[in-house]
Parts: sequence; C-alpha cells; structure tokens
Amino acid sequence: MGETFNALLHGFSVALTPINLLWGFIGVTVGTAVGVLPGVGPALTVAMLLPLTVKLDPTGALIMFAGIYYGAMFGGSTTTILLNTPGESASIATALEGNKMAKRGRAGPALATAAIGSFVAGSIATVLLTLLAPLVVELALKFGPAEYFALMVFAFTTVAAVLGSSTARGLASLFLGLLFGLVGIDGQTGATRFAFGVPELLDGIDVVVLAVGLFAVGEALYMAAYTSRLPGTLEKLSGSLMMSRQDWKRSWPAWLRATFIGFPFGTIPAGGAEIPTFLSYSVEKKLTRHPEEFGHGAIEGVAGPEAANNASATGVLVPLLTLGIPTSATAAILLSAFQNYGIQPGPLLFQSQADLVWGLIASLYVGNVLLLVLNLPLVGIWVKVLQIPRPMLYGGILVFATLGAYSLHQSWVDLATLYVFGLLGFLMRRFDIPVAPAVIGLILGPLAETQFRRALSISQGDATVFLTQPISAAFLAVTALLVIVPWVVRRYGRR
Amino acid sequence: MRRSRAEIALSLGVLGLGAGAAWVTARLPGEGGYAGIGPNFIPAVVAGGLLLTGAWLLWEALAGGWRNLAAPAAGAEHPFNAAAFGWVSAGLFAHMALIGSAGFVLAGTALFAGVARGFGSARPVRDAAIGFALSLAVFAFFVKLLNVNLPAGWLQPLLGSAGI
Repeated sequence: MGETFNALLHGFSVALTPINLLWGFIGVTVGTAVGVLPGVGPALTVAMLLPLTVKLDPTGALIMFAGIYYGAMFGGSTTTILLNTPGESASIATALEGNKMAKRGRAGPALATAAIGSFVAGSIATVLLTLLAPLVVELALKFGPAEYFALMVFAFTTVAAVLGSSTARGLASLFLGLLFGLVGIDGQTGATRFAFGVPELLDGIDVVVLAVGLFAVGEALYMAAYTSRLPGTLEKLSGSLMMSRQDWKRSWPAWLRATFIGFPFGTIPAGGAEIPTFLSYSVEKKLTRHPEEFGHGAIEGVAGPEAANNASATGVLVPLLTLGIPTSATAAILLSAFQNYGIQPGPLLFQSQADLVWGLIASLYVGNVLLLVLNLPLVGIWVKVLQIPRPMLYGGILVFATLGAYSLHQSWVDLATLYVFGLLGFLMRRFDIPVAPAVIGLILGPLAETQFRRALSISQGDATVFLTQPISAAFLAVTALLVIVPWVVRRYGRR
Repeated sequence: MRRSRAEIALSLGVLGLGAGAAWVTARLPGEGGYAGIGPNFIPAVVAGGLLLTGAWLLWEALAGGWRNLAAPAAGAEHPFNAAAFGWVSAGLFAHMALIGSAGFVLAGTALFAGVARGFGSARPVRDAAIGFALSLAVFAFFVKLLNVNLPAGWLQPLLGSAGI
C-alpha cells in the first residue's frame, strides 16, 4: 500500500511538470471540442487526434491522450443533452432524461450534474484504479502465454457473443476484425498473409484506419444517406448553470451509486459503458422519490448514467494498463497509441516504465480537475460548436479523418482502404451489426495468436497446456459457462 | 414471414469472405517449428469462423430474418438517399485521386465540397472556399508545427513562397 502511494506521488511529480500539465490541458480541451461534435464519439475522437502526437515523447503523448479520452466523454454528454443525438451507445441512457430536461429549460442543471458527476465518478474510479492496478499486476506477473491466450479468448467471447443483441452478428464482426488483423507479415515466421502483393498492406491494417473508416466515413455515409434532409433541433441553453439545493440532494447519491456500478463493468470485458449506464438508469428509476418525473427530465436520470459512463471509462484502463487487454473500441485505439511508441502495456510496464504508467495515472486525477474547472465555464463555446451546420461539420470531420489514414504511408491506398471500411461501417450501422468486436478483434487478434503459438512452442505442440494450467483452465471454463448458461436458460427456462 | 434480401446478401458476403480466406489459407506455409502449428493455423480458424457465422446468419435470414434487430436507428425509416450517398463518396474518391498530384489542400477542398453537397448544401463555391481555408489551416498546422509530411502538390510554389 505504501509502495503504491509512493509510486503515485512520483507519478504526480511527472504529471505536474509544466510541460506535461500543458499536454493534459491541451488534451482535455481538444478532446472536449471534438467530442462535442455531433456523431463523434470518444473512439473516433481518440482515433482522429492520434496524428497530433507523432512528434511528442511517449509520456507527454499518453498524458495528452488520457486528457482527450476524458474530454471526449465530457463533450459527448453536452451534445447528448442539448441535441439528443447520442454520439455512442453509452450516451443513450443520458439522452433519455437529459434532453427532456433541456426541453423544459433545465439544460443548465443537466449539464452541471453531468459535469460534476463525471468529476466525482472519475475521481473515485481513479482512486479505485490506483488501488486495484498493483494487485492485478501482481497476479498478471504469474501469467504465461497460455494464461494470456485464455484471457483473450474470454475477452473475445464476452465482447462478441455474450453481450449485444445477437450472438451471430457479434461473432461475424469479431471474425471480420480477426481477419483484418491477419493481414501483413506474420511476426514469427515472416510469412506474408492476406497482403495480395500490396506494399501498404505488409505492415498490417492500422487500427486507426479501421476505426476512422467505421466511425467517421461510415457515419458520414449513413447520415448523408438517411438524415441529410432532416432538421436537427438544438435546445437553448437558457438560465443558470447552477443546480438548486434540491438538485444536489438528488444528484449525489446517484453519482456514488453509479460509480460503483460503472467501475466494475469497465474492468471486465463487457463491451464498454452501455450496460452500466442503462443499469444505473434503471436503478435510479427504481429508487427515486419522484417517479413521476422520469420520462420528463428527472435529474437522477442524468446524474447516474453520466457518472456510470465515466467510472466505467476509468475502469477500462485497469485491464488495458495491467494486462494490455482492451475491452472497448476506444481502449483498443488507446492500445494502438501505446504500440506506436513501441510500448506494450502489461504487468512488465509497471516495472520497466514506472514513470510513464504512474505519470499517466496521476494525470487522470489532474485531467478530472481540469475538466471540471474548464468545461462548465466554457460551455458557451461548446454550444457554439454545436451550431456548426451539418454540411460544414461532416466536411470538416472527413478532412481530419482522411489525414490520419494518409499520413501512415503517404499513399492513396490507405484512403481506399478507409473507404472500404467506410462502406462496411455504413452496412454495419444500417443492419445493427456491432462494431466494437471488429475493432477489438483487429488489435487483440495478433496478440492472441502470438500468445497461442508461444504457449504451444513451450509445450512442444501439446495443446492440452491450455487446460492443464489452472489459471488458463479457469478462464476457459468461465468462458464456456458464459456461453452455455444463457443458452440453457433460454432453451429450458421458458417452461 | 419476414425475409430481407439485404440480409441474405450480407450473410452470403460473410460466407464469401470465409471462402476467400480459406482459399488464401490453403496456400500459406504450414511448417510449425516447436509449436507444431504454422502461420496458416489461426487463418484457418478465422476462415472457419467466418464460414460458420456466415451460415448461421444465412439460416437466420431465411428462417424469419435476423434476430433482435434494433429499431431503425435515427433516420433509417427514411428512404435511402442515393444522391447524398453518391456525393459523399464522390468527395472521398476525388480526394483519393487528387492528393498525390494536386496536394493535400486542393484534395481537401474537393472532399469538403463533395461532403457538404451530400449533406444538402446548395452553395458549392462557398463550400469550396471554406474547405480550402480549413485544409490550408490544417496543412500549415501539421506541416509547420508538428513536422508531419503532407504533399503540397500544385500549390508548392505558392505555399513555398508563403513560408509554409
């Protein structure tokens, strides 16, 4: 415990240097500004802003990214409340009550409870992250290739098959992502796979191209094709931002409950913040003393889901930093940001690059404070951003989105790949196929293959190694249960 | 019984990808070293997975339609606007074609104008002007401040003399 505290103190000495403070500040501001744009969720924000960091040192860049990550979440909630176009599934629950509050002229308190709730939940969740991470690292140091592979199978299964509306569509998305992940040169034998002689494909498919293609190009095609002639209605931000005493009284229990709902969901591979936000919403709906307000703008319905969203976003960093396993699309992109610097997150990182890891964790505390201090006063600017007409908005988004793909190899081939992923994103959006499994499959697939082959090399080709190692066997058993139990319940539970 | 041609086509697409992946996998080397499996093992698993899920989706599509589809997302109840889709695509294709020769700024201008048109803007000259200004600002920012290499293209003489 004392050790953790010292490490964290040291982290603050890294995060609070003026230059890193500046990167954090730029990160939260840019992240919020881009996250506010309608249709731009945290995953796309992080992917689009990745090129900004190419020339930074790793610590500064990752601190900036932590800021962007938090800022994007915050910006998204502003859009959701004022415009009722949730940028991502995790904001849908907020939209239910938040937009109703804005319609009743209570946009100010709705934004305030979202912002302060995000701060409270984010800060508590960061404390939990600080306490939990060293414990997970301790455990993870015992993991060999077989354990990692089993853990990744567990992550694939929960993200693709267990959660979401359809197992078949989730699996299709996962296998697509795994297929994309195979493209390029096999790291272990040097064999070229699925590159078809195209030099740009030899490096493999960059997760940024996939994410930007699915989220930016796909979204632009979808919105143009189906909603370009529809008017959007922006709620006015009138009156005070201040929450009344009554608002505070109703908000803070919701924040706290939601933190403890959101954080655990973030740490397990549960596909992001969608489930905890809805869970928090229904908990608040059950516990409220003002049930008549639900559906017409109840403040608990904003406070809870927003806090859950942020707590889960922080929880996601636990498996990402300690195990190198992303459990949401955004985390997958953050992982690729690490990889761009040749850093592989995992237990060893806490020993070899303690400065970087603890600096990053400390910067999360700082980022939360910066967001709270900056954003409520700046909300007038964010509202201006929301007033950008949609033709200009999507034009601008695509100018930025294509830049990231083009700067990889200075080649139009990457732009063509981007368009193909855009078409794919369009179809997936249209036919309700989840995209997170594809993004996670792309980045986690190659890591899983490496661990799989390493495990078999160690065991001299004996495949039972995954079942004879106790930790690995346990992960696989839990995975099997997660698949079988719901199926059995559905099949026999109806009688 | 609901039966959607698009769902059948998409399911066949997944099956086709699986078949293609299997075809490529069959031509990959298989020697394995200590592990006993080669670089073709996981591709075979993925190809098999695509074939199985493709078949599953096809069965669902034929037997009552894909399960648990979400209510149409915002706007999907409206008819597909092919012209809008085409304009956005045209902007992206123009960008692809132009960026190597004409450079980042002009390609960005074309992209911006195409996308704006796709979203219903009826003022192409104004859109191009805004697109040009935005692309120029982005170009200057990335090239000057971040040292990212972007092509100046046809505007090289102009940008060069402006110190960008």
